[in-house]
Amino acid sequence: MKITREVVQGLYKQTGTARVDTDVAASFQVGDTIQARNINPTGHTRLPRYIRGKKGSIATDNGVFKFADSLAHGAGTQPQHLYSVRFTAQEIWGGEAPAQDSLYIDLWDDYLEPA
Amino acid sequence: MTSDADVALRVRALESLLLEKGLVEAPAIDEIIDLFENRLGPQNGAKVIARAWTDPEFKARLLANATDAIVEMGYEAVQGEDMVVVENTPRIHNLVVCTLCSCFPWATLGLPPVWYKSAPYRARAASDPRGVLAEFGTAIADDAEVRVWDSNAELRYMVLPERPAGSEGMSEEDLLALVTRDSMIGVSHAVTP
Repeated sequence: MKITREVVQGLYKQTGTARVDTDVAASFQVGDTIQARNINPTGHTRLPRYIRGKKGSIATDNGVFKFADSLAHGAGTQPQHLYSVRFTAQEIWGGEAPAQDSLYIDLWDDYLEPA
Repeated sequence: MTSDADVALRVRALESLLLEKGLVEAPAIDEIIDLFENRLGPQNGAKVIARAWTDPEFKARLLANATDAIVEMGYEAVQGEDMVVVENTPRIHNLVVCTLCSCFPWATLGLPPVWYKSAPYRARAASDPRGVLAEFGTAIADDAEVRVWDSNAELRYMVLPERPAGSEGMSEEDLLALVTRDSMIGVSHAVTP
């Protein structure tokens, strides 16, 4: 296909959110303490290694989104809640990190277990 | 090191090859350049921030639902579908990184700078944000809270920097010059007038 001006114009328009308007139950509530699963999938995941096994708390429930991991592996959208999860810098990096600092990261339900 | 002249020559060679083989039309290339030079970029984000500094109701909407507030200003483009804006205060400093790749809010900030995509920034913004901020020349109080936002998934983040001291009497239009791209990533403060 030849790339024309019209093709380019189509590329930067909003392509549609990964958010889905589906009623899926949330496994966690804001304020819950969770632990990121220590999973080591082959191929694509949005759960970085530095978070695996760490304990944090649910800061915000962003709603239901298509699951990037299953999409990448050809296993469908598997829509589920995506949370903003707060981890203290000390939980991730150890006791020398400043006590008040923190890191927020967006994690899907399948990455989490109760802590 | 490759010089700028080498890069320019390589780009020209690629462009003429793509055109000669009929894979790309010249107007498509003009469109891409115009898009990223004029229509998507931190000049859009700066308008959002300057308005938030001067319009408390807009600021409240922006912090509650950034996606809608940004679209309301006309900045609707790819990589802006689900936006979150986090506010810097004297007590809390926010810093954005994508540790997995280079996720970035195109509609309001344009394409990410090279350093944002580099492995050292992606690693150290998460593990040593205060060290990274110091290297950017950004002073943070020892007792302030540093919050790092890893945009690893579907949301895209932008920082609402603190309105600098001395800007109290400035108009929304004049404030635009104080809002830098880096201040909206959180590696810098807004410019002090």
